[in-house]
Amino acid sequence: MKISYNWLKLYIPEVPKAEKLRDIFTYHLCEVENVEEKEGDFIFDINILPNRAHDLLSHQGIARELASLLDIPFVDPTPKYKIPESKPTNLKIEIKTDKCRRYMGRIIRNVKVGPSPDWVVQHLESIGQRSINNIVDAANITMFDCGQPIHAFDFDKISKFILVREAKEGETMTTLDNKKVAFNPSNMVIADEKNVLAIAGVKGGKIAEVDENTRNIVVEMANFDPVSVRKTAKQLGIFTDAVKRFENDLSSELAFYAMREFSALVLEMCPESIFEDIVDVYPQKQVEHRLSFSADRISKILGLKISDEEVEKILKRFRFEYKKSPHDKGDLEGLFEIIVPPLRLDLTIEEDMAEEIGRILGYDKIKSKIPKINFKPKVNETYAKINWARNKLLSDGYSEVMTYAFRDKGEVEVLASASDKKFLRTNLADGLLESVSDNLHMLPLLGIKSFKDLKIFEVGTIWFPKEEIHVAYNNEEAIIEKSLDEFCKDMPTNFSLEPSPIEPKDSVGNNLETKFKMWSIYPFISRDVAVWMPEGESSEKLKKILKENGTKLLIQEPYLFDSFTKDGKTSYAFRLVFQSYERTLTDTEINEIMAKITDKIKENKDWQVR
Amino acid sequence: MSKEIQKGREHPLLMLADQAYEVFSSLGFEIATGPELESEWYNFDVLNVSKDHPARDMQDTFFIKNQKEKVLRTHTTNVSARAIEKAGKEGNLPCAFISIGKVFRNEATDSTHEMQFFQIDGTMVGEDISIADLKGVLTHFYKKMLGDDVEMEFRPSFFPFVEPGLEVWLKFRNRWLEVMGAGMLHPNVLRNVGLDPEKVQGFAFGGGLDRIAMVKWDIPDVRLFYQGDLRINQF
Repeated sequence: MKISYNWLKLYIPEVPKAEKLRDIFTYHLCEVENVEEKEGDFIFDINILPNRAHDLLSHQGIARELASLLDIPFVDPTPKYKIPESKPTNLKIEIKTDKCRRYMGRIIRNVKVGPSPDWVVQHLESIGQRSINNIVDAANITMFDCGQPIHAFDFDKISKFILVREAKEGETMTTLDNKKVAFNPSNMVIADEKNVLAIAGVKGGKIAEVDENTRNIVVEMANFDPVSVRKTAKQLGIFTDAVKRFENDLSSELAFYAMREFSALVLEMCPESIFEDIVDVYPQKQVEHRLSFSADRISKILGLKISDEEVEKILKRFRFEYKKSPHDKGDLEGLFEIIVPPLRLDLTIEEDMAEEIGRILGYDKIKSKIPKINFKPKVNETYAKINWARNKLLSDGYSEVMTYAFRDKGEVEVLASASDKKFLRTNLADGLLESVSDNLHMLPLLGIKSFKDLKIFEVGTIWFPKEEIHVAYNNEEAIIEKSLDEFCKDMPTNFSLEPSPIEPKDSVGNNLETKFKMWSIYPFISRDVAVWMPEGESSEKLKKILKENGTKLLIQEPYLFDSFTKDGKTSYAFRLVFQSYERTLTDTEINEIMAKITDKIKENKDWQVR
Repeated sequence: MSKEIQKGREHPLLMLADQAYEVFSSLGFEIATGPELESEWYNFDVLNVSKDHPARDMQDTFFIKNQKEKVLRTHTTNVSARAIEKAGKEGNLPCAFISIGKVFRNEATDSTHEMQFFQIDGTMVGEDISIADLKGVLTHFYKKMLGDDVEMEFRPSFFPFVEPGLEVWLKFRNRWLEVMGAGMLHPNVLRNVGLDPEKVQGFAFGGGLDRIAMVKWDIPDVRLFYQGDLRINQF
């Protein structure tokens, strides 16, 4: 969510500098995605955590939180809101679904729709929103300020009353942005006598749109069931700022504050407007929650001693109403009971208070320790077998691969997949055979002499259709596949409890200098060179010549793949592999390199190129 | 030429998994394994992930045709849950488990996302296991894996199965990376596996192994691990 630093400052004039604020968010609240400096303002893009989306998807919410976190004053804007005079109303609102917990409506007559004042446009633009007209902007500003989504309808386009109900099968509506949507009864809508006016909590409809000719409006501050809103939005593919707030479960109590703020804004922008009484249908009143906890328990969860005094200091900063029961038994810390503020729907259990206190203090205050417990671990037989099988195959010269668990045929099918391979593999053999044939094309790159030396294995899970761990390895093109149990039938039973890495290392962190070398995607060319040299002369001399003249296209060390001695002479055969990271090599250029190498070899009078 | 058989080359992820097992075993953790095709109960419900949680959407999780309430596990936390349930039943508390295995997410693949990848997941339950212990264990682990000069930070976060919830960050080669989700096991999770949150508490953590391998060795693309290409076995 985008948060404007200047906007926050209206409520917390003592807010620290932007750079410092970034750290406050990171270490005490949530992740900061980005901070952008923009026309004398800083725009924070922050990831409000799902359990705080009830109360923090708004500037006032964030400002209150920061004021408490930093123990700085919060300037409450509500006393400054002008409260308009209000006249009796004929507005009729009916809720016919249990998915609407509250619907607050108000008719405002004689509004003058037009451009918004500069400060409104500025506020909206700072957080990437577009100004539309003063009425729509007032609704948006109120939402980004206090968190309550608001919708304004053109009252003269509504027939008789407002009804919150389930949609009828096949009912349709055109949205404000001209998208035609069709409903089913799982969707909740706002309707009048004849038409669907809006998708509840999701998006308004074209039919009662506020435009430049609008004279009278009815404004909605409602509270909808989060799951219903989320599912409808998903089904229709419409994601709005309202959805984002409702799907995270807002407090029904918020509607009241939003109505006060919105009314004051409209009165300021359209002083001639006539306000009617608020109609508040509130069938599912939010109940007050209390939460008890002790400093002792919190200390035990955090692993950090917290005193009653520290707890009280925090409760006061956060303006929690609380009671503290006296110490009843000797050293037992007192029990705190707080009245959970209506917007703080995240606070339900003692552990929530541990989190609250932990993050306010900062988790860096907790000193790390390694628990000194004498655990009595047992051998995991499956792991022991896998480890034994891998060790055995590796020491027999097989190299390990992992292939995909998904195939285009099988016994177990996934319901939906981002890929076209929708089945789980029934064996390892099919994947391993593909691996064999892929690797076969690059034997010289792998430093492998011939097909019979290409040895590959995989240990992995298959579903036929029962889940089972298998072991598979190749013998040229033949694949031998066994269940893990069968493969391990000769495993000794006195294996050790500790895992035994294939190549034990003094400290597993010690090979940090080793870096992966990405390979080239271009084809390679391999050439062999065989030279007769006097018996006893080292092949290293020849290798040196090959390395020095192979140019940088020589992708790896030349390797000796054959040697034999006859009649006082030794033949050494080296394989050279050429490859470029930038292009496909041509035979001609490699021939040139090879010709140069041959010339160099011929400089040694007693050597003969074979 | 020598007739001695040259040793085969290990897959880097499994090499790393063994190193991780070794580090945790030395702290007393027991290795745990469990099914890859898992019930929704152990993959979600036990872990306090509600029926309508977005993570349970078809877009993120692989559900199975004609097998109601089965999913390809989206994390190895299912193994941790099964393990502490069993330990509780058998009276083996306090306990600590570590599991490393393949997990699945239904998402489009790119250089940092795969439909199958490896997760490392651990838990420790006892009378007074705290966030201090969690910090100690994970700091020890990452220093063993990535060297002593790794810096660690624990930041506020949220996951349904823990409370408080933390994100684990580390600074490696001058870059801060988010490497794990962690926290104290939510009382609902403890209750769901038959433990009494009034009597025991514990921590849990989980994160990608592929990620550790990629930063440790500078491997540019997660997909390289699962292509059966032997050129990945460089270490």
